[in-house]
Amino acid sequence: MLKIITCFKWVLDESDIKVAANGRDLILDRVGYKISDYDRNAIEEAVRLQEQYGGKVTAVTVGPPNARLSLKDALSRGPEEGLFIHDSAFKDLEPAQTAAVLAAAIESQGSYDLIICGEGSSDLYAQQVGPRLAEKLGLPAVTYVNKLSLEGNQLIAERRLEDGIEVVAVPLPALVTVLPEINTPRLPGLKQVLAAAKKPVISLTKSELSLDFAPSLQTIGIQAAATDRRRLKFGPEAEEIQKVVEALIREGVVS
Amino acid sequence: MAGIWVLAENFEHTLELLNIGQQLAAQLGTRLVALTNREKAKATELIAYGADEVLLLPVLPDDQPWEAWVSTLAEEARQADPDVILIGGTSRGQDLAARLAARLNTGLCSGCTSLKLDQENRLIMERLVYGGLAIQTVVCPTRPQMATIPPHTYTPVEPQPGREGVIRELTTFTPSPVKVLSRRPIDRKSADLSEARVIVCVGRGLEKPEDLSLARELAEVLGGELGCTRPLAEDLGWMPADSYIGISGQRVKPDLYIGLGVSGQIHHLSGIRDSRIVCAINNDENAPIFEAADYGIVGDLKTVVPEMINILRKVGQK
Repeated sequence: MLKIITCFKWVLDESDIKVAANGRDLILDRVGYKISDYDRNAIEEAVRLQEQYGGKVTAVTVGPPNARLSLKDALSRGPEEGLFIHDSAFKDLEPAQTAAVLAAAIESQGSYDLIICGEGSSDLYAQQVGPRLAEKLGLPAVTYVNKLSLEGNQLIAERRLEDGIEVVAVPLPALVTVLPEINTPRLPGLKQVLAAAKKPVISLTKSELSLDFAPSLQTIGIQAAATDRRRLKFGPEAEEIQKVVEALIREGVVS
Repeated sequence: MAGIWVLAENFEHTLELLNIGQQLAAQLGTRLVALTNREKAKATELIAYGADEVLLLPVLPDDQPWEAWVSTLAEEARQADPDVILIGGTSRGQDLAARLAARLNTGLCSGCTSLKLDQENRLIMERLVYGGLAIQTVVCPTRPQMATIPPHTYTPVEPQPGREGVIRELTTFTPSPVKVLSRRPIDRKSADLSEARVIVCVGRGLEKPEDLSLARELAEVLGGELGCTRPLAEDLGWMPADSYIGISGQRVKPDLYIGLGVSGQIHHLSGIRDSRIVCAINNDENAPIFEAADYGIVGDLKTVVPEMINILRKVGQK
């Protein structure tokens, strides 16, 4: 039976972030949380493969205890089972730490055939957890995939890279990271949301895992990206537009 | 041993990394090492462009992905113990860097947009987060300090006459279980916007596909290219999928960007932040794009754009 693990991250919704009046600080106290955008594509692809080839999908996340909410959302999208790895120390992990925790937890749960991750998270977008996790687990990895199928015990994947499309074959078990173009994630209905609450969730804490946990990247600051723009406003009348065109000529961007 | 390593997918990008690499090597008083998969002639050129040493990576069979270099690079890095490894931030580079960093148990700053050394010779690295809304500053407490650097972050280095350096070939690699079956170029339906001088970008404020012709006309008068926001390409399908601008699409740096009916979602704004001048036309005076624009025109694009084309044509005739 095909055993698929899909990893997702519970992230703050960047569209809720406000910038303070000083133009530098971020106001995060009223932000909502969501499953990271590309991880929805990862979950959808896992479920799509399961529907096509049979098997079982487990959705995995690492986070602080309040990330538990994310499991219901993830399970309403189709996976049968959740794996929640939580600890108050699992807040603001850097990619190497996330990969280490995921690797330890996945190894503790026995065998699997395929791990699917999003290409990167919508908050930090480091694009590291997938390849680092593969490295930790000693798996072959295929990143930036926009098409996926199974042929026997082989995965056929299409990677979209800057200079073209690369079609690759890889034996299972393997890890892939997917691009948003790979599918359109389904929107769970009421029935799926209700069913999700009854699905099993395995809970693991830090003390149950053997972990080397020192960060190899430290954040020393996060500030709003300053946009140094003139912010001049004009009306729709011809003379106003004339002024804008003249300004663009003075700037040397229109000739 | 020590040194600054640079590795990128193509020659031009390598020259960009040599630029910042050279600055770091001078400040740290160490050697600059370029890694390349190119033939020897290019290696000699890289020395002229500032590398003290060029490491030629093993030539991979056609069916092998870059992943096959991870063990070669990790082994070499353990021996040479470089201070810094800078890798070109393309998809392949990003993948390779993450695997190499994992193998070396070190930190990696992905998509690094700025880096400098502090007084303790630590690299202070910046990158964009939250869809481009914020800048995260990171340091890497482990060795080597690693970063991936997107194309066009630095200008290519200039060659210097009379330079000498060492060329060394690395020959062994561990074949990857991933086999490349075929490669084909992307069937690009739209222009490459990354080099465009002028970009007219259309957004959700367009009412119907026919309004595109107005935008096209404006782009033509300005000698520019047409781009769009993500919903126009992905949800509405009015424009080719590869023509959208934003953090997950194309990143552009034109002299002039004109947004037509673009509201200014943060994912889009982060793709245009390197534009020299941003101009926006939108009938919603509260649209976020006006906060990120130099010149904003509040009005209906169906009357404003024809008038603008009119004025531009008159200017052009003079």
